[in-house]
Amino acid sequence: MTTTRRLPAWIIAVTGMVYFFLHAPMLVLVIFSFNDSKFSTEWSGFTLHWYTRLLERDDILVALQRSLLVGGASTVISTVLGTLLAMGLARHRLTARTVLEGLVYVPVVTPEIVCGISLLLLFVAMGIPLGTGTIILAHVAFNISYVTVVVRARLEGMDQSLEEAAMILGADEWTTFWRVTVPQLWPGILSGALLAFTMSFDDFVITSLVSGPGTATLPIVVYGMVRKNIEPSINAISTIVLVVTTTLIYVSDRLTRSPKPS
Amino acid sequence: MSDSKKIVALAQLDLAEGLADGRIDRRSFVRNALALGLALPSIAAVLQACGGSEPEAPAKPPEGAAAVDAQPAGPPDLGEMEKELKICNWSDYIAEDTIANFEKETGIKVTYDTFESNEELIGKLQAGATGYDLVCPSGYAVQVLLAIGLLEPLRPKYLTNLGNVAPQFRKTAFDPTDAHSVPWQWGMTGIAFRKDKVKAVPDSWAVFHDPQYKGKLTMMDDMRDVIGAWLKFRGKSVNSVVPEELAAAKADALVAKALLQSYVSAPVKGQLVAGDVWIAQLWNGDTLQAKVENDQIDWILPKEGGVIWCDSMVMPKGAPNKRAAHAFLDYILRPEVGAAISDFTGYGSPNAAATAKMKVPVAYPSDEQMKLLEFQSDLAGASAAWDQIWTEIKAG
Amino acid sequence: MRVRRSIFRVINRRESWAGWSQVAPTLLFLVVFFIVPLAMMFGSSWMARGTYGGIEWRFTAEHYVRFADPLYLSILARTLAWSLGATLFCLLVGYPVAWTLANAGRWKNVLVFLVIVPLWTSYLVRTFAMIFLMRDSGLINTLLLKTGLIQEPLELLYTPGAVMAGLVYGFLPFMVLPIYTSLEKLDPTLLEAAEVLGARPAARFWKVIWPLSLPGVAAGSLLTFIPALGSYLTSDLLGGAKQMMIGNLVQNQFTTARNWPFGAAASFVVMSGVLVAVTLYLRMRDKAPGGGL
Repeated sequence: MTTTRRLPAWIIAVTGMVYFFLHAPMLVLVIFSFNDSKFSTEWSGFTLHWYTRLLERDDILVALQRSLLVGGASTVISTVLGTLLAMGLARHRLTARTVLEGLVYVPVVTPEIVCGISLLLLFVAMGIPLGTGTIILAHVAFNISYVTVVVRARLEGMDQSLEEAAMILGADEWTTFWRVTVPQLWPGILSGALLAFTMSFDDFVITSLVSGPGTATLPIVVYGMVRKNIEPSINAISTIVLVVTTTLIYVSDRLTRSPKPS
Repeated sequence: MSDSKKIVALAQLDLAEGLADGRIDRRSFVRNALALGLALPSIAAVLQACGGSEPEAPAKPPEGAAAVDAQPAGPPDLGEMEKELKICNWSDYIAEDTIANFEKETGIKVTYDTFESNEELIGKLQAGATGYDLVCPSGYAVQVLLAIGLLEPLRPKYLTNLGNVAPQFRKTAFDPTDAHSVPWQWGMTGIAFRKDKVKAVPDSWAVFHDPQYKGKLTMMDDMRDVIGAWLKFRGKSVNSVVPEELAAAKADALVAKALLQSYVSAPVKGQLVAGDVWIAQLWNGDTLQAKVENDQIDWILPKEGGVIWCDSMVMPKGAPNKRAAHAFLDYILRPEVGAAISDFTGYGSPNAAATAKMKVPVAYPSDEQMKLLEFQSDLAGASAAWDQIWTEIKAG
Repeated sequence: MRVRRSIFRVINRRESWAGWSQVAPTLLFLVVFFIVPLAMMFGSSWMARGTYGGIEWRFTAEHYVRFADPLYLSILARTLAWSLGATLFCLLVGYPVAWTLANAGRWKNVLVFLVIVPLWTSYLVRTFAMIFLMRDSGLINTLLLKTGLIQEPLELLYTPGAVMAGLVYGFLPFMVLPIYTSLEKLDPTLLEAAEVLGARPAARFWKVIWPLSLPGVAAGSLLTFIPALGSYLTSDLLGGAKQMMIGNLVQNQFTTARNWPFGAAASFVVMSGVLVAVTLYLRMRDKAPGGGL
């Protein structure tokens, strides 16, 4: 739809209210990260104390680094594996396809704690020492499905005639894949990867069960801080994460914005 | 195979992980015994007696409590000091410079992680995950870990400061022989309140039945604490497994639930400070932390009694750095180190010598109070019954 | 379309080994790191709880029998009702938003991005921010009191309404995005044709737009309903832990109660129900015209 139709006023009103509803808590977080009080909801004056305090706690920085490492690695692996599965499912008539499709949804419907404990038992049984490696494996395990679902959706709406044309014109499968399929599939792969990274970056339950000594991720540190007391340092972390990710998404949006109208 | 060959073979064998801890002990035992000039056959006999000569038994099933007690305490010597140490403790539960000072003094590199619930810790250890040298569960969790044979006995010869621990926290219900734990912090569960909001000091659990405070009351989001409080209210034990007593506690809890604002544990501090909550079931130490922000907050042990608890450092089976772990335990048992930790957490130190050095000492309960206080113990077989009642309270 | 597809399928059948080699690595990974451990868990749900937690190797169906108790069924019923309610509410407000997004022209990307942004902050932290807003001395009540609109603080937090708000807040983006995807693919000439042929707005919506957006609606509903069903933090933090959802029950069995077999049994009952719903959705997607998420 390239044309901008006139929208009824009530639809715009509902949309406005929903956006307010979605963003009001974020605004509160940002404001209170500058509030000079440990507990109160009253505004007690402006401070950068909660940000400087973050610098004193190198455990937070180490955990943030590990979260980025785990998020990055698990996103790359699960995006590759998930995309392959999505393409195989969409493009080939495999026997027992319904079973395979159902299999994709199993991780989505499994409660986190069940997933975490069963993986813990598996790692111990296999003799894999708990650490960054097991965290990455676990994150890949629950991320694959989300990537597959999103990429599959893109494949569903995609025109196959381009690929067929390339094949008929003599391009081999490999060339067709890289030159035709991937560029068309790119928005799906990208959003699948974004979703995977988001889930990995925010996971606490599974990570806490499969982590080993000295491998805490950011959510584990944050939960530790929240359990005892909702210290405004948490608001400061959240604000930083918000600003950084907003910038990243904005930049990537500028970079990937294709001239093609959808 | 001759006995001497057997020993050589044994010493060279890289045993499966489940026996890792036993292996280290036996090896150092062999080494030490040889140094003492003992005859080889007698060493072999001892090893045989310890039942450890079958390397092909990695997944030893957990044994009952009795079997654990019957196990030998292991050799008294632990060999050389290791270079590193891995600790897992509750978050915000140690002074900010404790670890740094220990590292500076000993040159041991410490990995310090945190955990958020006893059950998470038990679950991981029970599944067979190891790697930590010291963990800090609450009393009842120590009892569970001990019962399923997941704890390594401590070697008193390395704990020269153990005498500093107050008698109230020695030979506790959860570690009757004192062989497996060193107490870390202790506290009580009672009632925190806003002096400026309440009409009278809430010195009884009955305050949670008082309709005038409807919506200003909270109890902790914890099965043991809520049902335990109502058991105490009727003069029963917090560890009761008597169905009639539990039924009465459930009825009391349901009456209170209608008046409660919410079930919430540690985060209630902010609401006490802000005045959204006037009366809350809470630990004494957390109350003290909130009091720093608002001095209208106070804490009382109800006249019917409450829970006393003590989190303790224990060494899981298979701990890789046993000697360093003992060094750390002995370090925190020093008066000034223990005092610094408790000054930070707001809780009491089980270390009598440390308590004397605290800026604001948390007094030990009097003998009178001690009669009202109880340690929680694991519910074992009655766990499902308690859980059922807790679910009924929540669903009611 | 149909003809071309079937030609393509013939080519593919010949190369079905290529298909299998494409999916094999992923399937292997999923089987080893998801299906095998899950099967172990399923096995344990038929075992007894050990005295000190853990699993005792004795076959029993007691956990499934126990779950059939009215107590647990009522929790399940409440969870279903709340999750359905949240899903419907998300659909009700999410559809207009998706419609705006699909018709936003050059603002489209920015608006889509603004729907996703909240997901990048920890759900726990966001929930605490809602507590900041809703508690007695929170921002909403403070504002209303200061402007004199109310004399007493409104009781917002720790009500079923607060739980519902939390669920909607947490999962609304999952509803909006799939519907947006369906609407965005919609061919505008269809609507113009309908308009030219004299269809009134209501008829245009129900006869043309709605059927074509159904796959998105189904995908969105599933992606909202499933996480809502498993949520436990929301009812603990915003509901004051005074009501239990099935997610809390499962969580409690694996933590405080240390009854892994019962927790596993409860999970598998719910999971099997959800998988039935998913299968229905897959059937619907395969039949529907527009393709789903």
